[in-house]
Amino acid sequence: MTLREQIRRNYLMTAVLLTFFGVLMAAVGAALYSIYGTGAAIAVLIGGVAWALFSWFMSTSVVSAVTGARPITKADNPELYRIVENLSIAAGLPATPEVRIVDDPAPNAFAAGRNAKNCYVCVTTGLLQTMDKRELEGVIGHELAHVQHRDVRLMTLVAVLVGVIAMISDIALRMMFFGGGRRRSGNAGDLIILAIGICGLILAPLAAVGIQLAISRKREYLADAGGAEISGDAEGLALALRKLMDDPREIRDTSRSTAHLYIEGPLHKASGPRALLGGMFDTHPPLEDRIARLEEMGGFKLPPETAAVAQ
Amino acid sequence: MVWVIVLVAVLVVVGLLLIFAFNRLVRLRNETEAGWSNIDVQLKRRNDLIPNLVESVKGYAAHERGLFDEITQARAAVSGAGGPAQAAAASDQLSGAMGRLFAVAENYPQLRASENFQQLQAELTDTEDKIAAARRYYNSVVQTYNTAIQSFPALLYAGLLGFRQREFFAAEDDERVTPQVSTT
Repeated sequence: MTLREQIRRNYLMTAVLLTFFGVLMAAVGAALYSIYGTGAAIAVLIGGVAWALFSWFMSTSVVSAVTGARPITKADNPELYRIVENLSIAAGLPATPEVRIVDDPAPNAFAAGRNAKNCYVCVTTGLLQTMDKRELEGVIGHELAHVQHRDVRLMTLVAVLVGVIAMISDIALRMMFFGGGRRRSGNAGDLIILAIGICGLILAPLAAVGIQLAISRKREYLADAGGAEISGDAEGLALALRKLMDDPREIRDTSRSTAHLYIEGPLHKASGPRALLGGMFDTHPPLEDRIARLEEMGGFKLPPETAAVAQ
Repeated sequence: MVWVIVLVAVLVVVGLLLIFAFNRLVRLRNETEAGWSNIDVQLKRRNDLIPNLVESVKGYAAHERGLFDEITQARAAVSGAGGPAQAAAASDQLSGAMGRLFAVAENYPQLRASENFQQLQAELTDTEDKIAAARRYYNSVVQTYNTAIQSFPALLYAGLLGFRQREFFAAEDDERVTPQVSTT
């Protein structure tokens, strides 16, 4: 699969997943209708849309406050700044994004911002210590690809949709438990419809989160492919991912709400019950998979023991 | 009556499709122009750096007249180039000559130690990197644009509306002329 084909397929998959979102919304609406009738269904859906608009406009400025990144200038770290500058030119971005650093020994990086003109790229001090120039270029290329693909905006939109579905289902279920609900005559057909509606309301939020994470994983593959195109060096990015895989440290201060922004899923090293779910609830695909795709795209093969050789 | 409605609907849909296709071509053409101006800015910046560098080496190695002449000519060829392909050929020649200039400078420890020279050299290297980056972007945008105007149905009207193919920023004999991605 060439790079362009991979990018096309990823876009297609994102479109398919977003369509699933629409279907899910419709299903929730149908469930409401079957249980409560027209009036309540419309009222709850209007509430949902209002909530969606509210969280969409509130969400834009939250990220920078959460992560504690400080901006740097060209004089502070000319090498890093040059890499960002040059790769922005190669990505065709309208301006060089702001460069920020987080003091954290764990190697990681993320990009944030509303659009290509108004965004920043952030790396941890750990990343600067672990990576050589080529690997750093791979990582920054990946982040700039996120900026180029408008991923931050897309993922915010998706998070808002998940929130709305969760809220509507929650309200609907509560209304039922507290005896709201339109009483129907107890014939069997109505009971079945009621049961299906309740199941739908319980499962909808779970399905929404599943779709959200699937989109997030698709966007990671897309950013890997785009990043390799920007830096012109798929192997550099693969080497960087290999280093991230070998590094056991996890970044501090991350929460679910910012997890999808990082180059390496900051929560993926968690073990316990989540590990049993086989990655269904990860924001990022496994690093091995991402490296394998880069190898396929770039037509190279990393030696099996890079970590040992590098030391 | 039904047929009139169907006809109108079909015309509206076709009209919308044509508008979208046309706007896409305009957007792509603008992107190639922005990409070209990226390259142009960096080529000018390099041309501005070169006289100072040549002067500082001349002070030590005045006998390398042939090399200095070659640099002067290549520099003039870059600024006077008639199109991307010519500019790329001249630019590659200039890069080669500058490489040799730095090789000459290696023989003069005093020159190498000079802070002014080091700074000029670092800036030139940075500019060369930026030219390479801008070239990568420009060539990939040009490829998308050229593919778009050669594809059906755009090829029927693209020429009439003044969408012309753009040259890659690559010398004729350069292997990188061949894009890495097949256009299918």
